[in-house]
Amino acid sequence: MSDLEVQTGLSAQSRQSGPSRRLGVAEATAGVLALLLVASAVVPQLLAPGDPFAIDPLSAFQPPNFAHGFGTDESGRDIYTRVVHGTQYSLVIGAAATAIGLGLGIVLGTLAGMLGRVIDFTVNRFLEVLFAFPGLLLALLFIVIFGPGVVTATIAVGLSTAPGYARIIRAQLITVRSQAFVEAATVLGRTRWQILLRHILPNTLAPLFVLATLGIGQAIVWAATLSYLGLGAEPPTAEWGAMLSAGRTYITSAWWMSFFPGLFIVLTAVTATVLGRSIDRRMRHV
Amino acid sequence: MPTRPAFHSPAPTGTPARTTSRCTTRALGSLAGLVALGLLVAGCTAAGSTKSVGEPKSGGTLTYASGDAEPSCLDPHVGGNFPQALVSAQYLESLVSRNSTGQIIPWLAESWVPSADGLTWEFTLRDDVTFTDGTVFDASAVQANIAHLQDPTTLSSTGYLALGKVTGTEAVSPTVVRFALSEPDSALLESLSQPWLAIESPAALERSQDDNCAAPVGTGPFIVESWVKQNAITLVRNEDYVSPPADAGHSGPAYLDTVIWRFIPDSASRYAALQSGEVDVIDNAQPDTIVQAEQSDSIEELDSPRPGSSNRIELNSGQAPFDDVRVREAFIRSANVDDAVSSLFQGTATRSYSALSSVEPTAVSNAALFAYDPAAAGTLLDEAGWDETDADGYRIKDSVRLTVEFPVSTNQSIPAEQSVFEQIQATAKATGFEVKLRPMDLSSWYAALAGNDYDAVSAPYTKVGPDVLRILYHSDSIVPAPSGYFANLAQVDDPAIDELLTTAATTADAAERASLYSDAQDRILEGFYILPLYDQQNHFLLRSDVIGLRTLPTVAVPTLYDAWLNR
Repeated sequence: MSDLEVQTGLSAQSRQSGPSRRLGVAEATAGVLALLLVASAVVPQLLAPGDPFAIDPLSAFQPPNFAHGFGTDESGRDIYTRVVHGTQYSLVIGAAATAIGLGLGIVLGTLAGMLGRVIDFTVNRFLEVLFAFPGLLLALLFIVIFGPGVVTATIAVGLSTAPGYARIIRAQLITVRSQAFVEAATVLGRTRWQILLRHILPNTLAPLFVLATLGIGQAIVWAATLSYLGLGAEPPTAEWGAMLSAGRTYITSAWWMSFFPGLFIVLTAVTATVLGRSIDRRMRHV
Repeated sequence: MPTRPAFHSPAPTGTPARTTSRCTTRALGSLAGLVALGLLVAGCTAAGSTKSVGEPKSGGTLTYASGDAEPSCLDPHVGGNFPQALVSAQYLESLVSRNSTGQIIPWLAESWVPSADGLTWEFTLRDDVTFTDGTVFDASAVQANIAHLQDPTTLSSTGYLALGKVTGTEAVSPTVVRFALSEPDSALLESLSQPWLAIESPAALERSQDDNCAAPVGTGPFIVESWVKQNAITLVRNEDYVSPPADAGHSGPAYLDTVIWRFIPDSASRYAALQSGEVDVIDNAQPDTIVQAEQSDSIEELDSPRPGSSNRIELNSGQAPFDDVRVREAFIRSANVDDAVSSLFQGTATRSYSALSSVEPTAVSNAALFAYDPAAAGTLLDEAGWDETDADGYRIKDSVRLTVEFPVSTNQSIPAEQSVFEQIQATAKATGFEVKLRPMDLSSWYAALAGNDYDAVSAPYTKVGPDVLRILYHSDSIVPAPSGYFANLAQVDDPAIDELLTTAATTADAAERASLYSDAQDRILEGFYILPLYDQQNHFLLRSDVIGLRTLPTVAVPTLYDAWLNR
């Protein structure tokens, strides 16, 4: 297939038949992985019937073998079981943090986009101050004040992603606000809040869904980062970041202790990103 | 200049039987036919080197990488912690030292005589020693150092506490200094042997504290040349050095030209730097890297447990649930420590059953008290009234769950040790204890202790000699210091133990003193206040071409005085 054919194929596709209903290999793989990850989070016992906290000191530091597919850690716990049971932490933290970030972003973005120049100016300057901090630094600051733990880590990640969402939502609102159907609603005498709820917000929410899917991947990585630094889940919780941190000490002698949790962090983040981009592409064509 | 053979008898460090036997086995292979046992011992204690290495060579630069925190002050009088002791042993020296059998030996002081009532001590000093800034070492220098340690503005903690009974000093002559005590102190010599009570130049002490912290001046084999914070301390050889301790391997100046003292907190990076030859010696070696190093020809191990207390979990007997001795015993019986230690330390640490380090000759060990016995633990809990179980399998009494708050300082416990705690948590759960491990940074950890917000804690204490028992288990130590810290974290409040420890601290007769400490330890162990784990681990790894490295038997810090590079 030549480049030319690809190009014509693509343009023909977008022009005529809308989005491709065919799934790419990456998308199909991501879909299957996402299903598996959700299954691990909801019914971990189905995939790994063992107890993630069960110690067995006499079989510590076993490399991957038939009995322990991913090997065992320093206390003889089965790493496969722990990785599967750890999915729920990562997915819940990722989803909750994204929800917090998006929620705050919607509130701030709506305030800025809808309530006139003074508020818009204030909120924008406030967001710029937050942007001056790298997101992770903001999360660290929050944890220093409120103490480490899963809940604070989740809120911290949510808070530090909020400014980005707020900006995008504000931009989207302003675009939608100047559309003809909004002007029509104004002419018809609808109140500002009716217009916001009935016309503007529904039209900004679709891109938000894409953002959220992409954001979950990022939130999972950040939450794992915080646990890795000892600021999130506490040992011996089977959380991927905490497991990665525990394995770091033994990286020269027991690579599997950090490899498998690390692999799953990467797989989850990539899955969320591939799915997010795929949804994005499809929605643009609708 | 002529050098004495590079061996010394008796063996200079408190090397435990395991390492020595490993060395000996290897040494027997390569040194078959050699008759001198002394050579065997030297081969092991000089960092396990078993090759015939010939005459020591002068010159070269040795790079040491420490996993301990970088000190904020290089003068160990200020504060007084282990990282300071590690580096200051290279440039500062004490009045006396200790040999591997626990006897006090001469260093800057040649001899000493206590008075009959034990209230005054006269130290006769060496008359040929000069500080590296040219100041003469004499009785007035010792006086200035004691005054500096006791001056509240110095902010000394370790040294200040060790001199608690010293009321004054007097220069009888330039080479004789007299200490006056408020009551007899059988631990005085042990206290003075510690690096935190080293003698510095009185002229240097008159500088501002910041200047003295940056470059303390002593009589040691090396001189602090520069200190680039967050990077490295550079030490250069003291060419006029004359005062090694009585158990050193040679006399005259050190062999090494320069020592670069670096800080690499991450254990994996530290070991990688050693493997690549970027550094020559590392401390705080982790169990898995020690095991790896055993298979390597280019890396040797030096194991030298710290003196003072063993590493143990203290159970807070001052509040529920551990105010009941049956619950304390139940916890101890429910914890499978042996399997945890063997899986995590992989043979590099030996289980302890004592309140004291195995290098302390007065240590009392009682393995029978600490056997893993979950059935007995369950019965004890039944007797103590914790006879119901909730849905999660934890014991309850009056609908309160049997919970053990366990704050863990991540700065003070290596990862393998934190995993030991996790395994204890898992095995104690089977009996019905809910152990809540709380990893935290040092300041939060101190706050948890000061707030009495703990049921179990691990806080090893390093001090030369059995007097550490008084600091750790006398009821006076429950009263917090102005800083808020108190050392009796088990909150042992037993008049009989107090009486034994107070008497021992004023008893000069060695046999009687040892017997008093032995009785006190029996009572402490039988009261189930502590769960001993192992000695305070102190493993060094070094390139095998580093010869002659040993640790001072006082607090087991390395000394680079006898070390040389065989390259």
